[in-house]
Order: sequence, then C-alpha cells, then structure tokens
Amino acid sequence: MLTRRNLFKQSAFSAITMLALESCYSSPEIPPAPDGLGHDFEFLTLADRGILSKLAPVILAEGLPTSEEQKALVIKEIIVGWDIAVNGLPLLTQAEIRKLFSVLDSNFILSLTPRLLTGVPAAWDDSKEIDEFLNNWRFSDPKSLITGNELRVGYMGMVEITMACWYANPRSWDFCGYTGPPVL
Amino acid sequence: MSKKQNKIHDFVAEGFEQGWKHLDSSQLTSEKTLETDVVVIGSGAGGGNAAEILAKEGLSVIVIEEGPLHTAKDFHMKEDEAYSELYQESAARQTKDRGIKIFQGRMVGGGTGINWTASFRTPPTTLNYWTKEMDVKGFSVDEMQPWFEWAEKRYKIQEWTDSPNANNSTLEKGCEKLGISWGKISRNVSGCLNLGYCGTGCPVNAKQSTLVTSIPGALKAGAMLISKARAETFDLRKGNIVQLKCRAMNARGNSPSDQLIKIKARHYVLASGAIGSPAILLRSESKSLNPHGLVGTRTFLHPVNISGAIMPFPVNGEYGAPQTSYSDHYVDTRIDNKKPGFKLECPPLQPMLVATTLDGHGKTHAEIMKQRPFLQVLIALQRDGFHPESTGGKVYLKSDGTPGLDYPVSNYVWKGIRDAFLAMAEIQFAAGAKAVAPVHRDAGIYSSPREVKHAIAGLPMEILKARLFSAHVMGGCPMGEDPVKSVVNSNGRHHEVENLSVFDGSIFPTSIGANPMETIFASTAKFAGDLAREMIN
Repeated sequence: MLTRRNLFKQSAFSAITMLALESCYSSPEIPPAPDGLGHDFEFLTLADRGILSKLAPVILAEGLPTSEEQKALVIKEIIVGWDIAVNGLPLLTQAEIRKLFSVLDSNFILSLTPRLLTGVPAAWDDSKEIDEFLNNWRFSDPKSLITGNELRVGYMGMVEITMACWYANPRSWDFCGYTGPPVL
Repeated sequence: MSKKQNKIHDFVAEGFEQGWKHLDSSQLTSEKTLETDVVVIGSGAGGGNAAEILAKEGLSVIVIEEGPLHTAKDFHMKEDEAYSELYQESAARQTKDRGIKIFQGRMVGGGTGINWTASFRTPPTTLNYWTKEMDVKGFSVDEMQPWFEWAEKRYKIQEWTDSPNANNSTLEKGCEKLGISWGKISRNVSGCLNLGYCGTGCPVNAKQSTLVTSIPGALKAGAMLISKARAETFDLRKGNIVQLKCRAMNARGNSPSDQLIKIKARHYVLASGAIGSPAILLRSESKSLNPHGLVGTRTFLHPVNISGAIMPFPVNGEYGAPQTSYSDHYVDTRIDNKKPGFKLECPPLQPMLVATTLDGHGKTHAEIMKQRPFLQVLIALQRDGFHPESTGGKVYLKSDGTPGLDYPVSNYVWKGIRDAFLAMAEIQFAAGAKAVAPVHRDAGIYSSPREVKHAIAGLPMEILKARLFSAHVMGGCPMGEDPVKSVVNSNGRHHEVENLSVFDGSIFPTSIGANPMETIFASTAKFAGDLAREMIN
C-alpha cells in the first residue's frame, strides 16, 4: 500500500532529514475545488476535487471541448461522476482510492518527493508538469523495490475513472464519433 | 440519467407485478428465517438453470442473488449505469496483483444477463482431457451430446445468420486472406434486433439469459427469488449443512447491512461462479467443506489480451451483435499444448469500454478516441489449465471476507499472449488495417506488419505492462472421482458433505477453451435432474 509511512520507511532518507528538508521547501497550494453542480459529495474532499480539476484536463487533453466555458462545465461533471463512481465501489476499494488521494493531497509529499519518489508535481498549475508526473507513474516499474506496483496501479485507477466519467457523458460522444444508444 | 422506460413488452417485469415471489432484501427491516427443499445460491447460467429444473420437479426452491433485479425496462444501453449496477465491483474487479481486470455479472441472471451471447459446446478436446487426465466420468463427447442439445433448445441457441458487423467481418476477412480457419458463433437470442448492447443488459428481452428464461420458469413453478442478498456462510452439524446465513446488501449494493437471512434447506446448491462459490466455502471455515485444501485452487480465467487496428473504413463496432465470428486456428494447431493455444474473437466497442481499455492518457489517447469509429478490435483468450505450468489462480479472502483472486500469469501463458499479439496484428493487417496498436503499456501504433512484428518481439510480457482482461471465471471447486484431488464428484456433488452440490463454472477442472455459458447450462441440467430425482424418491 502506498502510504507516506511506507515511502519514508523505505526511502534512503531518514525522517529527520525529511523534516529538515520540509522546512526549506515551500508547499504548493492545493487548487480550489470548482463548484459541485449541487451534488452532495460523499467521498471526494475539497482538496480531491481541486486536484481532479487539474488532472482531468491533462488526462483527457484534446478529448475535452475546446470552448473554455464548456470545458469548465464538463470538468465539474467529471468530478461529480468520480464521486458517484467511487461511492458505488466496494469499501475496500474506496479505502485504496482514499490512500491514493492522501498521497496526492499531501503537502508534505508534494514538497519533498517530486523528483525523488512519487513525482507528484510541485505545482498544480503547470499542465506540463502534471503530464510529466502522470507519465512517471504510468511508466514506473510495477516491481519497484520501494513503491511496489503502487504508482503504476494508482495511475491506472486515476486515468480509468476519469476516462469512464468523461466517455460515458453524452457531451463527449461527438468527439469520439458515437451517436449514442439506438432509439427503440 | 433519464430513467425513461422503453416501449418493449417486458413480460418479466409483469410477472413480478402479478405476484412471482420476490424479496429485495435491501428493504428488509428485521431478521428473516426461511425453510425450503433446496436453496440455490446464484441466478446465472448454473443457478437459474438448476432452479427451474428443481422447481418444475415439484421441489420448493429459494434462489439467492447478490445483485439487483433489473428487467428489460431498466436497461438503457448506458455504459456507466450498466457497469456500476450489473457487474461485480462496478466492472473493476481485479486479480491480486492488479494485472487482470475481471468482467463478471452480478444481477438476477448473473453473467448471462450481461454477456455477449457467444454459445459454444464444450470443445471435444476439453472433454477428452477431463476424461483422460482429470478423472471425470460422464463427460465424454457422446454422453454430453444430449445435454448440449437440451441447452440449445431451452436457451434458443442457434446459428447466427445475420450479416456480421464490420468488427467481426474484419476478423473473417483477415483469416480468409491468411488462409486460416474461422467460424460463426451461435447465439442464445430470439428476436434479436442486432443492437450491439448485450453487455449493458438486453433492452428487448431478445437475449435468452436466465433472467428471461429459467428464472421466470422457476418462479412460475413456485420458487422464490431473493435479490440483493449475499450468501455468507454455511453452518454444519455432524458433517451436514444445517443452515445458510445470508446478509442483506445495502440499497447501493456495495456492502452488506446488518440484516441477517437464515435459510434451512434439505439441499444446498452453490452456483455463485468460480470466485463466489469457493469464497462461501472458505468463509464457512469447516474442515468437512474443504478437507484437502483444494477449494479455490485451479481457478482459470482465459486471460485476454487485445489488439486495436485503425481501418480505412468506418467499423462502428458499438453497433450490431458484438461477438459473432471467431477463429480457433491457434487452438486447433496447438492442441498438443506444446505451445499455448488461444481463441480469437471480437468485443463490442462502446466508447467507455474503449477509453478505459487503452493504456495511457493525453494527446495520444485522445487521438485514438477521435478515430474510434474506425477502430477494429480483436481479443485473444488463452486456453489455461492444460499444461503443467498453467495451474491457474487461487481464491482467497480479503480482510472484509470478500473474495480476491491471486492469479500469477505463468511463463507458458505469457508465451501464448505474445504469440496472440502477433497473430491478431497479422489478421488485422491482412484485412487492410492502416495501423495496429497492441494494447500494451510500452507499445506504440505501427503502420506495417514488419514494424509491428519487430515491436511485439521486444515487448516485455509482464503484468501491468501488457493489459489483460477476463470475462470467464472457471474452476476453484474442481470435479473428479478422486476425493483427494477434487472438491465435487462428476455429478457436482460435494465429496464429503452430502447435502451440498456445486452447479456452476467452478467445477471445471480446466478452462473450457471457449466461452463457458453453454457448458454450464449443459452440465447443470445433467446434475440438477439427477438431484431432483434423488430428492423426490
């Protein structure tokens, strides 16, 4: 399981070094959560929603609408879809996704380990940096001695749920040439 | 999402309105104890089929199903709705190392409610292997023949004569060009409108799933259906089961509530599939149920790898019957098992399934999604369980008591997966593909047979790099005549516990080497008739 504890326990740095380093680095700010379209969020926290609002455009890239207004709206819908999808999963799977977000949300991790272990971006505003982080996780070694398969599995989870939430949405269907279910 | 009802006459919904016995246990407010002749745990190809046979013989039957009761009017051909409501773990069930994604039905109708209707008799080579190598009796080709005929009649399994959609015709064309064998898949449908949405629940009651055939048959004969109830454990006394304990699921269906349902029966039929059935036996923690530690072992998946191709013409693989053509060339030419054999088929190509199956994100992923109407996809199903190195997986219990499957992919099976990537690419190029993309983390998109061949030779065949899937769970309670080497005998009866049978795909001692539904129908019909006669006399 990817937790801060494991990462640090198994990393080459001692906790004291970490604490010393942390005080020298400024923590990147978690982006603000976009409004929730009236959805009553059960799983996603404000911080999760903020991070998803930055991840989704990089994951979906040209698949999203080009108009900024439309794009902002569908990102809100994707985040609502995320919450609904995760709420339907078995509780053990939900706990795993919570751990994934705890790594993404954590300022401590963000400030210390970007290039070292998890590659979580140091700033959520820079889409190039987010793309790099996603690719680091995507191409991470599934048999890593330090993180096991967790980065690769975390990547697949984040990307799949985001893809599912967007390509199930009728607003994506023009883009992927789908005319929708037949009318009976 | 709109919940608008479609206009098709939904006789299953009507049956329930007119009084078929059904309890949605998520609505229960107090503990319930029930008594019956037989309790059948599961409502898919095994359970639904057995329930009807037993009920029609005059036995009182209760059918337990963990998933919800949805009927044609509730099936809207929407992927998000269907995957979250009708599949195990929202269609995100995975093996322990996350290397294989498992698509398994969880609804009244089980896998038959959401499968793609492909119906094959058990291949003779599989039956012969069971007879010769696995100590199974009564499963010779001749002995099974009448049961296949029975299943084909009951579930209207017929040759599919409509034209294939372009996804399937591309498979046919590629095989023709290469001079390798291919065939048409029989389907269990009646009045099929060729929509292409078998995987999201048939909205017109054309698919002859147990939801529209044997479950109504059992209910008409007086059986009772309990939906949204998870069978948890058997209680035993003096070597026999005295009670099944179930827990009602919450309304959302993702975890059990506190409400208990206890069922006392003369006989208990396990039909929860190759992951669910072993789990109930393991949770019960009884030496009698698992005397030799075999429960959950030899679980097979037909591990599937995938090849995508961009065709010069629109394929629109989301429409039209999804799975109508196949090639057994790489099964038939490898039947000595020196090289691993695999079956080639096609999947449906609705956008959510496509988007979540491809590896990667960003620009490259979006570009493929944009070309999705031109996408042709082949899948290869590895025939696991026929080689000393191919021993399948093991069902285990997670911390909350739900089952997991540890399925390490053997080097033998990996060889088959690499060969399958190449075979699929060759067929796609032969059929005129402009480019081929093996679904593998480290693969690109290749525009010539030479390039793709070179690339496939260098791809690491490793878990979480090659994307693997399964839609067929088999084994885990293997049958055979030797009580030390098998869990049930060749009649699906538990070797030690007299009032327990297993009637589902978990009894298979190997994988089937073809889509397993018809084998489950046929073997269950054979077993259930014998059980009914014994219980009546």
